[in-house]
Amino acid sequence: MHKFEKLDVIKLRKYTFPITIAFIVLVALISLIFGVEVDIEFKGGTLISYSYTGDMDVNSFQSKAEEIIGTGVSITIGESISENAANNINLSVNSNAGLTAERQFDLTKKLQESFASNDITLLSSNDVPPSAGREFFLKCLVAVAFSAVVLTVYIAFRFKRIGGWSAGVTSVIALLHDAIMVYATFVIFRIPINANFIAAALTILGYSINDTIVTYDRVRENRKIYGKKLNLEELMNVSVRQTLTRSINTSVTTIAAMAVICIVALIFDVKSILSFAFPLIVGMVAGVYSSVFLAGPLWVLWNDRSKKGTKKKSKSSAVKA
Amino acid sequence: MRRVNKSAFGITALVIVIFTVLSFVGISTQYGDIKKVYIKGVEDIRWGIDIRGGVDVTFTPPEGVKATNEQMDSVKEVIVQRLVGLNITDHEVYVDYNKDRLIVRFPWKAGDESFDPEAAVNEIGETAMLTFRESYMTDPETGLWTGVTEENIILEGSDVENAQPGYDEQQGEFIVQLRLTEDGREKFSEATKRLAVTKDSISIWMDKSMISNATVQTHISEGSAVISGNFTAESAKALADKINAGALPFELVTANFSTISPTLGLGARDAMALSGAVAFIVIAIFMTYNYRLPGVVAIIALMGQVAGSIAAITGFFGFLDSFTLTIPGIAGIVMAVGMGVDANILTAERIREELYRGKTLNGAIESGFKRGFTAIFDGNLTIIFVAIILMGAFGPPDSLFAKLLSPVFFMFGPSTAGAIYSFGYTLLVGVVFNFVMGVTCSRIMVMALSKTKTFSNKWLYGGENNA
Repeated sequence: MHKFEKLDVIKLRKYTFPITIAFIVLVALISLIFGVEVDIEFKGGTLISYSYTGDMDVNSFQSKAEEIIGTGVSITIGESISENAANNINLSVNSNAGLTAERQFDLTKKLQESFASNDITLLSSNDVPPSAGREFFLKCLVAVAFSAVVLTVYIAFRFKRIGGWSAGVTSVIALLHDAIMVYATFVIFRIPINANFIAAALTILGYSINDTIVTYDRVRENRKIYGKKLNLEELMNVSVRQTLTRSINTSVTTIAAMAVICIVALIFDVKSILSFAFPLIVGMVAGVYSSVFLAGPLWVLWNDRSKKGTKKKSKSSAVKA
Repeated sequence: MRRVNKSAFGITALVIVIFTVLSFVGISTQYGDIKKVYIKGVEDIRWGIDIRGGVDVTFTPPEGVKATNEQMDSVKEVIVQRLVGLNITDHEVYVDYNKDRLIVRFPWKAGDESFDPEAAVNEIGETAMLTFRESYMTDPETGLWTGVTEENIILEGSDVENAQPGYDEQQGEFIVQLRLTEDGREKFSEATKRLAVTKDSISIWMDKSMISNATVQTHISEGSAVISGNFTAESAKALADKINAGALPFELVTANFSTISPTLGLGARDAMALSGAVAFIVIAIFMTYNYRLPGVVAIIALMGQVAGSIAAITGFFGFLDSFTLTIPGIAGIVMAVGMGVDANILTAERIREELYRGKTLNGAIESGFKRGFTAIFDGNLTIIFVAIILMGAFGPPDSLFAKLLSPVFFMFGPSTAGAIYSFGYTLLVGVVFNFVMGVTCSRIMVMALSKTKTFSNKWLYGGENNA
């Protein structure tokens, strides 16, 4: 019944490892060259969105806003898809001082007076002092790092029979890979890094570890069944083949569900959902890839190295999974 | 393994369906305008401010001022009183003692179109430091107190026990009547006795603006005082309220101020609801197509799981309070559903595999659930760890998980990202319900069905047709 009898993930590492490393280097280069957009949630600053109707002279809006606040502002316009709805105009200030509630209040009132015909209404505003933003970001990083440690220890404990720490560390390496892919999505599609990034990264962390656990669970079981009859490479290959249908079906189902959410978010122009759901899809694909093509071969490499020389010759023909 | 009776399918499925309907619709009675809610449904969900709009603001003392824990507590008390005074009853206020921060969150008032969040924040954070000062000496340029007026503070806000708006019929004007504390009475008595001789005045200040200045005519010893000065009925009441709400020990500065309008958020909510419904249908089609009967059972179990998440949010269960649902919270439900899908797929794949190995239907189902379980257990437990870490890191400081994890996050104050807390919560309850529904209920239903003649064909479970 297995459709993947020829699949040898250990041999494939000749291709998968270099491709993965090349891609990660590429992502690093892109972030270095083009920079990373960070949302004001993390870097501090003020972002205010207004809705308006009719025609808006963006230049005079900008200069008026700058005059009121006294520092430079950048303006972006969001055109609404539906005809009746008002358009959005977003105003962001990278000032270190930020705009306190009183100054925002003042700004809104003055803009409303100056552009009375545009029917300006406040949609949302967000003011974060840089120190608070940095602290929030740091806290997120600590949360992720702490989760990684807890997961490594738990997996090392639960998979004692198949090498413990090797299972724990390799599954966390796979997890890091997936987090990098989520990050890559944000960088490549120029989505500012925000709280959604953290939520998406954490979700992927969960899914990714789950994919790897399912594979290792099978390795653990097969080790019990076959004992030393299979060498590590065969053990891993058999286990991967047995669990791949599940991994693919689970991913296809959840990705399809996420895709629906993406499409609806696109139609309704809800960016907060889109910038969460889309990186999740990328992360899920990465999760299947990393648990099969990275964690598995890495685990074999690790355990092979630690007992060099005891490797037996292939007996795979004796075992039909 | 426990024996499962044929009728167990019907009972389990019925219980799940009833539970789902109840958790979505709830039970309430309506007599005229009075609605009594017995079981909360989707309508009673408390939406986060990212969905229904609202205000999220952090107050701190000005730079350089270090507040004591007692002062932060009194600031919190004052702010809560002011929120209640503004009729904002649905609010969250957290104190961060380490960083001297006060995090205040409140939603848009339902149905209030004219609600002005900025004005509300200004009013909440207003210092309202009330002082009674000797004489009325001011700097002609700044208008601020100087000389003896600056030096001699007769009474402070804390000397006032109670303030009430009133109407002075003799003068024909609105006033604010103060009842002083024992301490205040003595100080006021001493000052008025002294000033009545020189016919000097006492000026009353709110922060740095003078609201009233009156010449002392007689010695006042009975512990009451009157503030007069061009009040209207409204402004007299507003001043009395401010005095009652107490004076803040220091000025408050806003940091981290954000608002979101309800129109923006509700669009996101509706989009989420629609996409959730469509996504569920897509999952149902996939599961039925790929896994046949266990797929159909999985849909019932998933329905129960979603209902469980909703119930844990609305406060359906007596022991769980209702929970604020934010957009990341919805994402948490979605992710837990993904884990539910996975649990059902893992088992269904296993059953199919065992059938191909030539096992009987009964044997295949039993070992399918048994062998699938270890992976489900480990996978879901790691998610529970992540969820607990998130709740501890980004939850309110007085919650159990936050206390548990305080050694890890000690250097950080409570987070303003309540949204991620919501994600952790829905993820946690979703995964717990996955154990109940995706593992236990699915097993009971599949086993019960396999005992019936109609559903004993191996093809229905992914095997070859043996009809």
